[in-house]
Amino acid sequence: KDGKLYLCYFPVLSLFISSCLFFPFQGLEEGITQITCKSSQSSHKLIWNFPLETTFKSTNPSGWPQLVVSVYGPDVFGNDVVRGYGATHVPFAPGQHTRVIPMFVPEPTWRLQKFTGWLLGRRPEYTDPKVVAQGEGREVTRVRSQGFVTVSFHIMTKDLKKMGYDTGPSMPLNAPSATSSWSTEEQPCNH
Amino acid sequence: MAEVHIIGQIVGASGFPNNSLFCKWGVHAGGAWRLLSGLKNGQTQVDIPQTGDMAYWSHPIDLHYATKGLQGWPKLHLQVWHQDSFGRCQLYGYGYCHIPSSPGHHRISCVTWRPLGSWQEQLAQIFVGGGPQLRSPDLIHSGADRYRLHTEAMGTVELELGVILRHFDSYGVES
Repeated sequence: KDGKLYLCYFPVLSLFISSCLFFPFQGLEEGITQITCKSSQSSHKLIWNFPLETTFKSTNPSGWPQLVVSVYGPDVFGNDVVRGYGATHVPFAPGQHTRVIPMFVPEPTWRLQKFTGWLLGRRPEYTDPKVVAQGEGREVTRVRSQGFVTVSFHIMTKDLKKMGYDTGPSMPLNAPSATSSWSTEEQPCNH
Repeated sequence: MAEVHIIGQIVGASGFPNNSLFCKWGVHAGGAWRLLSGLKNGQTQVDIPQTGDMAYWSHPIDLHYATKGLQGWPKLHLQVWHQDSFGRCQLYGYGYCHIPSSPGHHRISCVTWRPLGSWQEQLAQIFVGGGPQLRSPDLIHSGADRYRLHTEAMGTVELELGVILRHFDSYGVES
């Protein structure tokens, strides 16, 4: 699997594997992109163009790898605060895929916290960004969604057919991805 | 036994009267189906979108089923709730969709509805909120006993599901 990443400030990337059955045996599992700005002339997009390249192996598709993206950017005091968390499953059909990941930030639970957070310039953050790839324990969190991150994947699989797995027809070249149509407007994390 | 993997996300919802929403979900399968791994029900976070009409949850789903028969193919049922700024919750919609039976990546829009009360209840709902709820949530994904129910159309929930089938062709099942 290899891909490129566009848009928003600088994200910390981690490929999160929700079970111990998957393990990467080549390539990096985590990375940090450069710090980027919007261009002065053109659109509101932030470009990272960050390369990812990882190979996974497993005996079972359960716990399929997910890409976790956390975006950080400086606030008015110059501190790095979180601008968004997001996650998506790595596509499993061979071919090229574009995924648009909606990003969100946790909201303070109490109004007082909201006020002190505003006063001190602190925002709630997840201690471990990998919680966004887990289905458990999310009912207690309140989030605010803002912006999207676009990731482009090129997927190749090996021996899935031989193991009896049917992942569907592989995508024809240049077919529009199913997700790309709801990226109506890429509106990145704004100030 | 044939195996099914359901890997994907509950992306979000749009078209509801208010967009501070969360979702309770569950997967229901027939008696011949056995869950080997994964969570088959849960609740998403509450999203209060900064802009736009769509609430995003990005709630991951990763299920592994083994089955002896096709009857009772898994269904995903959803309950969309609204949480206001005081933390009070109100039901906004029920909906269900079948898990796609063909392997591959699928984008699904699940339509929802909510029960409608008498006109007195509807009037009260305008002023104080709340509203009728189903006593047995099984009705979301079953066709029996629906004939006296009055409902109202609500928004849609967007899902992205990937389906991987295993050993279906060795049993002669064409999908």
